[in-house]
Amino acid sequence: MSDDKSRDFEVVNRSVPRRDGRAKVSGRALYVSDVKLAGMAYAKVLRSPYAHATIVSMDTSRAEAHPGVYNVLRGDDLEGLNPYFGHAVKDHPLVAIDKVRYAGEPVAAVIAEDELTAYEALELIHVEYEELPAVMEPQESLAADAPLLHQRQFEAGALRGFEGEVTAGRGTNLCQEHHIKWGDVDEAFANAAAVAEGEYYFPMAYAYAMEPYVAIAEVGDDGVTIYSSAQHPFMVRHDLKTIFDMPVSQIRLIVPFVGGGYGSKSYTKIEPLASACAWKARRPVKLQLSVEEAMLTTRGDDALTWMRTAVDADGKIIARQAKIYMNTGAYAENSPLVCEKSSNRCVGPYAIPNVQIDNHMVYTNTVPASSFRGFGCAQVTMAGESQIDELAAKIGMDPYEFRLHNAARPKQEFFPGMRPFDGTLTEDLKIVAENIGWKEPLPSGHGRSIGCSASDAGAYPLTSTAVRVHADGSASLMIGSTELGQGSHTVLPQIAAEELGIPFDLVRVVSSDTAITPYDRSTGASRTTTLMGRAVQEASQEAKEQMVRMAADVLGVEESEIESVRGGITCGEARLNWSEVLTRYYKLPDGEVIGRAYIRKDKDFAQLPVFWEAASTGIEVSVDEETGKVTMEKLGTCGDVGLAINPALAEGQDIGAATTGMGIGMFEELEFDRNQLLNGNLLEYRLPRFSDMPRTVKLELVQNRDGVGPYGAKGGGEASLNSLPANIANAVYAATGARIRRAPLTPEKVWRAIRETRAARGENES
Amino acid sequence: MMPLRRFAIHRPADLREAAEMLDHYGENGSLYAGGTELLLAMRHDLLRYAHLIDIKTVAGLDGIERRDEHLHIGAAATHRTIERSAVVREQLPVMAEMAANVANVRVRATGTLGGNLAFAEPHSDPATLLLALGGNARAQGKSGERTLAMDELLAGAYENSLAQDEILTGVDVPVPGPSQRTAYLKFQVHERPLLGLALSLELDDDGGVIREARCAVGCVSPTPCRSATAESLIAGPADSLEQRIEEAGEALADEAALTDDREGSAEYKRHLIGVLLRRAARKCLNGNG
Ligand SMILES: Cc1cc2nc3c(=O)[nH]c(=O)nc-3n(C[C@H](O)[C@H](O)[C@H](O)COP(=O)(O)OP(=O)(O)OC[C@H]3O[C@@H](n4cnc5c(N)ncnc54)[C@H](O)[C@@H]3O)c2cc1C
Repeated sequence: MSDDKSRDFEVVNRSVPRRDGRAKVSGRALYVSDVKLAGMAYAKVLRSPYAHATIVSMDTSRAEAHPGVYNVLRGDDLEGLNPYFGHAVKDHPLVAIDKVRYAGEPVAAVIAEDELTAYEALELIHVEYEELPAVMEPQESLAADAPLLHQRQFEAGALRGFEGEVTAGRGTNLCQEHHIKWGDVDEAFANAAAVAEGEYYFPMAYAYAMEPYVAIAEVGDDGVTIYSSAQHPFMVRHDLKTIFDMPVSQIRLIVPFVGGGYGSKSYTKIEPLASACAWKARRPVKLQLSVEEAMLTTRGDDALTWMRTAVDADGKIIARQAKIYMNTGAYAENSPLVCEKSSNRCVGPYAIPNVQIDNHMVYTNTVPASSFRGFGCAQVTMAGESQIDELAAKIGMDPYEFRLHNAARPKQEFFPGMRPFDGTLTEDLKIVAENIGWKEPLPSGHGRSIGCSASDAGAYPLTSTAVRVHADGSASLMIGSTELGQGSHTVLPQIAAEELGIPFDLVRVVSSDTAITPYDRSTGASRTTTLMGRAVQEASQEAKEQMVRMAADVLGVEESEIESVRGGITCGEARLNWSEVLTRYYKLPDGEVIGRAYIRKDKDFAQLPVFWEAASTGIEVSVDEETGKVTMEKLGTCGDVGLAINPALAEGQDIGAATTGMGIGMFEELEFDRNQLLNGNLLEYRLPRFSDMPRTVKLELVQNRDGVGPYGAKGGGEASLNSLPANIANAVYAATGARIRRAPLTPEKVWRAIRETRAARGENES
Repeated sequence: MMPLRRFAIHRPADLREAAEMLDHYGENGSLYAGGTELLLAMRHDLLRYAHLIDIKTVAGLDGIERRDEHLHIGAAATHRTIERSAVVREQLPVMAEMAANVANVRVRATGTLGGNLAFAEPHSDPATLLLALGGNARAQGKSGERTLAMDELLAGAYENSLAQDEILTGVDVPVPGPSQRTAYLKFQVHERPLLGLALSLELDDDGGVIREARCAVGCVSPTPCRSATAESLIAGPADSLEQRIEEAGEALADEAALTDDREGSAEYKRHLIGVLLRRAARKCLNGNG
């Protein structure tokens, strides 16, 4: 895209106010919970109290007889449906069949005339369980005598998004494994000048979104229609196609605004259950979960990572080895892909000649884990970036200089076989160092850290769109990506307006209806601006090409005589805008032209990743050594985004991601006792608050136009999360000398670590 | 949280009627003030009531006024009202400061002092402070009114000692004299505090001697508690308090019968009691924590 580098932008690279801002703050924006269909019934879910149990019997007769109840959906009464779903591994029954695999799993659903009645009837259902031994942690689950969660063997899902084999269901609780190896780690470690080695833990976290899962389903003669809070409607469509054994043309997913996702709404969640209820009740059914139920639906994978990293005498990183155990819960969901991605993300953003990563994703009797913002990167970057500081300390090098010395260089193929690095980490690091005052003196009790990450982002490049230019000069974009607050539905019309040379306000987005909008694989992995952005750009260009041909036709000249200019064409003296071209072509002031684009794994997108999502983050903390309480005083982020189509929105993504990272670094953790989730509610699961935000925040973007997206754009929105938990551990170390390898760094943990460090030093001194 | 189950709401005109309703509905009825605890517990299906008796419709229950040597705070006064009340700020600033740090602004704007005390949730800031300040609760039943000390009112975790027909009408807090210094500190990570600590010192005329001390620790045991040993250790010359304070902290921690739980280990809580007690003492004596 270097040919348009000199061009001045009219609409993109500007912080136009977000389209949906007013509608959202005034409560007018439509979410699924606002949708009401004629004759709609409501479903409520009965959940398992046991982590692992056989369902011996279920009596639903009293619930069915309760006034206002239409039906009860149960796992042994799904004749006619294929009840297992999963885009990676078909291991997930839409409602428990024969057994339950985690406490909170749906075992039945009551469908009634209103939500309260459905809820009241739940306690009229009697289920007899026979409890089975449960496994809650990976090591326990891999033991030879561990109870098996899944007895069946599974096929790999057709849309799993990676090329490796699926391990799940082969007689152990191993859900997926992934291995990476190049060079010779053993030799490199043997010859190293210094080695850092340790075990790190990244906690189970909940990707809190203000809107819990909600779906409304209707099963009729023309197929299945579902309104859903899904991030990836086309992926959900594919799961439903199998459940109902229908062609995709008969499965319609409609997604209005989504109230936040952060990964938690990627892939299929409650749509199979909602549509099975609608199928059973023969009427539209709404299933709206509470936050507590959402916390029993998905979470992020936690990870226990043993890692070692070696440097040579020049301070160059020469080897890294990791063994990772991730706890994926009762069902695979998207974790097989997380397994692959987290393995890849152990390496960057450094060029390391000897690497060996062995990753195991294990089934346990806990809430199923799936995508979580950062997608496996944050899990392993807790280890990786902690270890960079540990190594720097060992060789007496400033951790910032150490990173500058080792960070991947532009165009370097630091991961063999993958796209050469398309970012400028050293520039990013310098900006952050400057912004947090890296070299300035610190008050006592304060510490600073700097970190960076680069993820193989963009997921799989399969995206299409149509840009309809109307005869009055306005345009409609047919967009399969979902607006989940990230601002895509502001950014995409900016691109179309730029290309077509028409005012931003004349471009409308028609969104996320699989029956209407062209296919887009997903809205995740920071891919929309890059992939859908490119699709919108190319479709706009294709519309222009068609209009140039139309202009040649109406002017009676050769196409080569027409020059395309901003907003229209010129031909000698003649000057027509798009509206005039179309009006003269159709001989009526109406009609349209449809520009199309199909993005696939080819040309610019032939090599994966679509782009490297890179960022640097820096913080300053203060630590109250008496209580162990950590306060973040300063935050600096630098997103390496190629070009920000909308800088304010891009920065919003960076601070949002950094805040999530801060939450996990400092307080967020789902806790299980033997069998139950203990803090599955917002009173006890501690999310970041405004009052936790640092007083000084400096957000910056580096815009070298080095991505494959429109105008050189790349994605953002995850990277400044990835390094933050390690940032916190490293800054606490800088402030106190205590090295903590388990997130979150809660006050008691910090207090203990300080005390132990002091005690160890005291012993050394004496 | 699930939908609220069906219930009826009743609006008594006065305390008498409220007491009668309570008596009438018995186990099926509950007083309802701000609802910040009650409705949450009902939505989590931890409590079920078919009848809620809305105490907010009783006039005058949210008043705050000086009555002789006491400051009277009505049970229906919200944390926000207390925090912003000119009388409280002037005469009992430690109470206003405490109220300003209860929960978040939404809970403060709706949640009442009476609801907080009556619910007897162990992580109560007001209960701990009022115990140290020697505040008394006033309760009104069908057959009359009575006064209860804080440790009489709080019977256990989520347990108060009010009779079925009794309504908390307010608290009377002795207004500190010029020689009295008070501080309330808390340590908090989650929505509710992990530890609350209140200290009240009665100094002699020139401020050199602590004549009497009252200290209370909350959140770490079913009800907030005081320690006579700690209090007698704290009393004595002010300038050497630092040397006695550690032992006092230990005594207070002993009294609290600490346990390991999700919020923290007993060891950590013990340590924090010491830290907060020292900070509270400094705040009382030097005006800083
Ligand atoms: C998110 C959150 C955070 C919180 N954080 C804190 C905190 O930091 N510190 C703290 O101290 N507290 C905290 N709380 C508790 C808060 O202070 C209480 O929720 C509030 O004060 C209760 O008052 P209410 O009017 O809402 O009571 P309600 O919920 O209406 O009632 C609670 C109980 O008290 C009874 N009751 C109410 N009024 C009377 C009366 N006059 N006489 C007899 N019985 C009565 C009711 O029957 C019910 O059983 C928090 C609560 C929440 C939800």
